[in-house]
Amino acid sequence: MSNTEFDQALQTFFMESRELLEAMEESLLGLESSPDDDDAINAIFRAAHTIKGSGGLFGLDGIVSFTHVVENVLDRVRGGHVQVNGELIALLLSCRDHIGMLVEQIAADPAARPDKELESVGNMLLEQLKSYQTGVTHPVCSTAPASSCTEILPQTGNTVESDMWHISLRFGQDVLRNGMDPLAFIRYLDNMGKIVHILTLPDAMPFSLEMDPESCYLGFEIDFQGDGVDKAAIEEVFEFVREDCSIRILPPHSRIEEYTQLINELPENNIALGELLVNCGSLTRKELEQALHLQETLRSGSRAEETSKLGNILVEQGVVQPELIDAALGKQKTAKENKSQESKLIRIQADKLDQLINLVGEMVIAGAATSLIALRTQDAALHEATSTLSRLVEEIRDSALQLRMVQIGETFSRFNRVVRDVSREIGKDIGLNILGAETELDKSVVEKIGDPLMHLVRNSMDHGIETAEIRLQRGKPAKGTLRLNAYHESGSIVVEVGDDGGGLNRARIFAKALEKGLVTANQVLSDQEVYGLIFEAGFSTAEAVTNLSGRGVGMDVVRRNIEALRGTVQIDSIEGAGTTVKIRLPLTLAIIDGFLMGVGSSSYVVPLDMVMECIELNEAERQETRDSHYINLRGTILPFIRLRDQFRERGKPARCENIVVVQYAGLRAGLVVDELMGEFQTVIKPLGKLFANLKGIGGSTILGSGEVALILDVPTLIQRAIALESRVLNC
Amino acid sequence: MTISIATSNGVCHVNVTGEMTIYHAAEIKAELLPCLELGAELEINLSEVSEMDTAGFQLLLLTKRAALAANKSMRLVAHSPATLEVLDLLNMASYFGDPVMMPRTVH
Amino acid sequence: MAKTIMVVDDSASLRQVVGIALRGAGYDVIEGCDGRDALAKLTGQKVHLVISDVNMPNMDGITFVKNLKQLPAYKFTPVIMLTTESQEGKKQEGQAAGAKAWVVKPFQPAQMLAAVAKLVMP
Repeated sequence: MSNTEFDQALQTFFMESRELLEAMEESLLGLESSPDDDDAINAIFRAAHTIKGSGGLFGLDGIVSFTHVVENVLDRVRGGHVQVNGELIALLLSCRDHIGMLVEQIAADPAARPDKELESVGNMLLEQLKSYQTGVTHPVCSTAPASSCTEILPQTGNTVESDMWHISLRFGQDVLRNGMDPLAFIRYLDNMGKIVHILTLPDAMPFSLEMDPESCYLGFEIDFQGDGVDKAAIEEVFEFVREDCSIRILPPHSRIEEYTQLINELPENNIALGELLVNCGSLTRKELEQALHLQETLRSGSRAEETSKLGNILVEQGVVQPELIDAALGKQKTAKENKSQESKLIRIQADKLDQLINLVGEMVIAGAATSLIALRTQDAALHEATSTLSRLVEEIRDSALQLRMVQIGETFSRFNRVVRDVSREIGKDIGLNILGAETELDKSVVEKIGDPLMHLVRNSMDHGIETAEIRLQRGKPAKGTLRLNAYHESGSIVVEVGDDGGGLNRARIFAKALEKGLVTANQVLSDQEVYGLIFEAGFSTAEAVTNLSGRGVGMDVVRRNIEALRGTVQIDSIEGAGTTVKIRLPLTLAIIDGFLMGVGSSSYVVPLDMVMECIELNEAERQETRDSHYINLRGTILPFIRLRDQFRERGKPARCENIVVVQYAGLRAGLVVDELMGEFQTVIKPLGKLFANLKGIGGSTILGSGEVALILDVPTLIQRAIALESRVLNC
Repeated sequence: MTISIATSNGVCHVNVTGEMTIYHAAEIKAELLPCLELGAELEINLSEVSEMDTAGFQLLLLTKRAALAANKSMRLVAHSPATLEVLDLLNMASYFGDPVMMPRTVH
Repeated sequence: MAKTIMVVDDSASLRQVVGIALRGAGYDVIEGCDGRDALAKLTGQKVHLVISDVNMPNMDGITFVKNLKQLPAYKFTPVIMLTTESQEGKKQEGQAAGAKAWVVKPFQPAQMLAAVAKLVMP
């Protein structure tokens, strides 16, 4: 086995162990509410079983020996010998964590020595598991040929000359039907040493009609030579047919009496057998005579009849085993079908996928350049060819991006454990409600959403949900509920963390922000703007703000993380009823359908999903809106921003202007541009650090012409437009 | 697995193609034994036998024994590697008495 | 012609390692991730040996072997059951279902190759 192959398999093992441990955790948590769930118990057992089995294959003894004990206890749970209770679940969860640590330790450094601390945790857990174990646990041993090995006595006197093992085999009639081929065992034996001589005995085979072609009738007498081979090793060759084959093994230089006994025990005619033994070299003629003589002596005793009947016993051994009727045929459960999808999945490394996406991105840009050139040549055929190409590139782009989409459910379900552990820790009874687990989003986004979610969940549990007493006073159920939800909304994915706690106190937040100098006293802010203040870096809540205390800790980090993903955070809260934090994230971080607009000599892109409509400004309206920041759009006020002003575009004003109406998170604004240039596949290139503080720009992209276009940060621009409008209104 | 049977000049030629294994044992037995009635001699061509297990081997043995009992001659010819390996492993080539290559030394 | 072995286990890493070992020894290998998946993949092609775990989701090894033995193309195919020492009962059950050979988990690749070679030489 080559090292790379082995390493790859080892990586599979790590990944698989993580998945199994996750499933184990999920099922253990499920047992808390329904301790008799057989499916859950089986799943837990299987996880331990599989990790142990595969771990052994990689020689990971630490994992094997610990998991072995856990498996043993789980087997007893499965058999109904051990009752499931909270204490056992807690212990098994700790064991599960410990297995996880062992796996991760090896994943981090396969050559790592056992960690002392880890080891002591393991020993402690093993100690606790003891009370659930059977009296005796078999130690795990990789090889244990526990066969009866007859000692080879120091030989004196009447031993045969032959220095070979003699093996007599009489196969039972069923071996072939059981899939066991005597030829295969004989080949194996021949590989182990050397078959010096073999006699095939068809004596037991009936003539023509009675002969069942699927039955085995053969016997073999074998002289075998093998260096360092002992009787146990020979017995082991035939271990799978031990019950279906009578096997007699005589070691080299056996005593003549033993051959006598052998001849007696074999079903064939004694004299003929003796001849056979001489023929195959096991016995010399003289030895045979001695043996037969010995037999005569024995026969005069009383054992004669017994011995001669051995052949009959052999036949009896061949009785047909009762056929098993498959009652369980239709028994498989269909409920957990999704778990068997594995075979239809291919695991690939994430960086390969990233490379593919990058290439597709480059292809989109190159394709745009080609289309542009084709357009200039005014060659209709070329134009048509490039447009077909563009369409295909678009499809490839979509399929490639689809490859990276994963369901958020896996991320969500990790919080089952978090909510359980934290609620015990802080002494509150809190349940978790997961919705929209099947909502898909880009893998790169999923990976980065975990930490912010953890923060929000902990905060909700610590500070959002009240203690049971207060909840009862307020007429709420004693048990608090935390809600994780995900859904798609116009090109974004929305992830919600909600609680049914006390909600935010607007007045207190405002006061706090005032004190910290984040707002001025006469500033007019919407509820959401006030709530948003808790995400400000300076908004420390070390002092008690009733049920908000501590909520500010790290919340600025949450917002920064989300903004780094081009996402936004929004808080809805009803005092006394609960708080919901909504995180909006782009579906993908790589390529979007964009809408291209021109202002002066520059080009700008907005995500097409956010564009509601485009309106041409006529001359009258242009005059009218010269100094204002809103227009009347079919009876409602639409704030807008002139991109020309926003980005200080030089050059003469264009002859006509258009308003592009964009929407984000329920808010609308207009962007005034010169030219509408239509849909454009946009490969998002991040801006360098230099532009990090540039407000209103989210990234850049390269146009077919090779020019750079800026991707607008629509949420920021909308906020800005609204701010401008209200300032004007307030004046 | 297919068996083709042709008789010429009192010799029955049987050609077995494919697997001589337990999966086809019943079929082979049903086809092979009656061939002994078709002529004074039976010649079984094994050149197209891809695989032979104990069940397949037993049928050759059975046919040979039936032939001996009926005082007819039976030959195995053109042994394929798979069949040769079995006859050789069990040291049975000499029992069938056919001229075969014997790569294995048997004393 | 190389002999074909089917490996049925819900552990991908186990299938991978056993697959590497078997291919290295000169066998062809097909894989199934549980009993149901394995049955779906057995479409009459020649399989010389089946190696199957007992504990698997969707369809366990015992049920799988019982089903396998109902299929005309596989009723005589030898089966190695992967058992654990704590499951002596499962071994009996497996044998009754038609899996007459076994390998005890955890095992080393060499142990698996030895068990396989007793039933089918490459």
